[in-house]
Amino acid sequence: MVTVALDIFPEHTHQWIDAAKPTHPSLIDTRHVTGQLFGFRNIPMAVWIDENGVLVRPPEQASVERSPLRDMEIPEGLDARTTEMFRQVKAIPDSSEEYRAAIIDWARNGASSRFALSPDEVVRRSQPRADNDARAAACFELGQHLLLTAGHDAAVPWWREAHRLFPDNWTYKRQAWTLVTTAPDAEANDLQQGPNDVYEGNWLDDVVASGGGAKYYIPPSL
Amino acid sequence: MILTTLRPSASAFAEATGWEPKPEGLCRGEICVPAPGSLGSDGTVDAQIAAERLGMPLLHDEQHGIWALGAATMSGHELASATAADPELMDRAGTPFRLSSLRGRKVVLVAWSTY
Repeated sequence: MVTVALDIFPEHTHQWIDAAKPTHPSLIDTRHVTGQLFGFRNIPMAVWIDENGVLVRPPEQASVERSPLRDMEIPEGLDARTTEMFRQVKAIPDSSEEYRAAIIDWARNGASSRFALSPDEVVRRSQPRADNDARAAACFELGQHLLLTAGHDAAVPWWREAHRLFPDNWTYKRQAWTLVTTAPDAEANDLQQGPNDVYEGNWLDDVVASGGGAKYYIPPSL
Repeated sequence: MILTTLRPSASAFAEATGWEPKPEGLCRGEICVPAPGSLGSDGTVDAQIAAERLGMPLLHDEQHGIWALGAATMSGHELASATAADPELMDRAGTPFRLSSLRGRKVVLVAWSTY
């Protein structure tokens, strides 16, 4: 197992990595290059790589444990947006049990596992990449570079364009949103990413516009 | 890939994009895309030629004098090949790490974030 955090600021990841006390490599991708190179457009997503450095599964949703959020009762008394956020999260399909079993099967059986795909099939099953998606990647990277070299205001126009070009890329959106919606004294990044004065979109409205929680992930085709 | 020049080194190009410039073309795994004129005798890559051949967008931020080279679209898919890219990432301590250091082992690479 190797984990990679798509986070521009590595220090944001430290408390979470430290709390997990991982025994596996815990990596940080400050430029979101794994999004371009492996097709990660949301989290959690994963690819499988065999002993020879060849992908045997395309990028897909990678939950291995059912989230307790799916089964909890939505607390009463919350504001309408927070209540709706819970509803959308609960609508996200769960394939954690099947996906975990598939990983175990591959770990045990390797290339003979029915879950290990041929190279051609891996490519075929990866998502289409339109020109706009590729341009969005370049826009996001420009924004990330300028954030660190010229300041946040220089990044925003490029990130707005990345969001416009590739609305299905949630890491581009959520990384940008959280940098404006997180309070300066917050101990962790804001997860709600609500309406703000910098970007047109926000998590809830964009999820609803894209078809709701049921459409939020690329489910594994097992 | 962020560029401060349209003629990056071949090694930097390969590192950032996963495509290795060779005399026969731009190569990734078993795939080589002919790209005449892309590899210079000085070990640099003509980013404009490479972008055109691989279907990579090349964006220019004139104000800050930099370019960004986007992902290849020639395959029409997120993955141009099943050969795993090997970017340099960092671990918790800031130490460089490459997935190729795990050759010989199965790897499930899981992406997460703090947001």
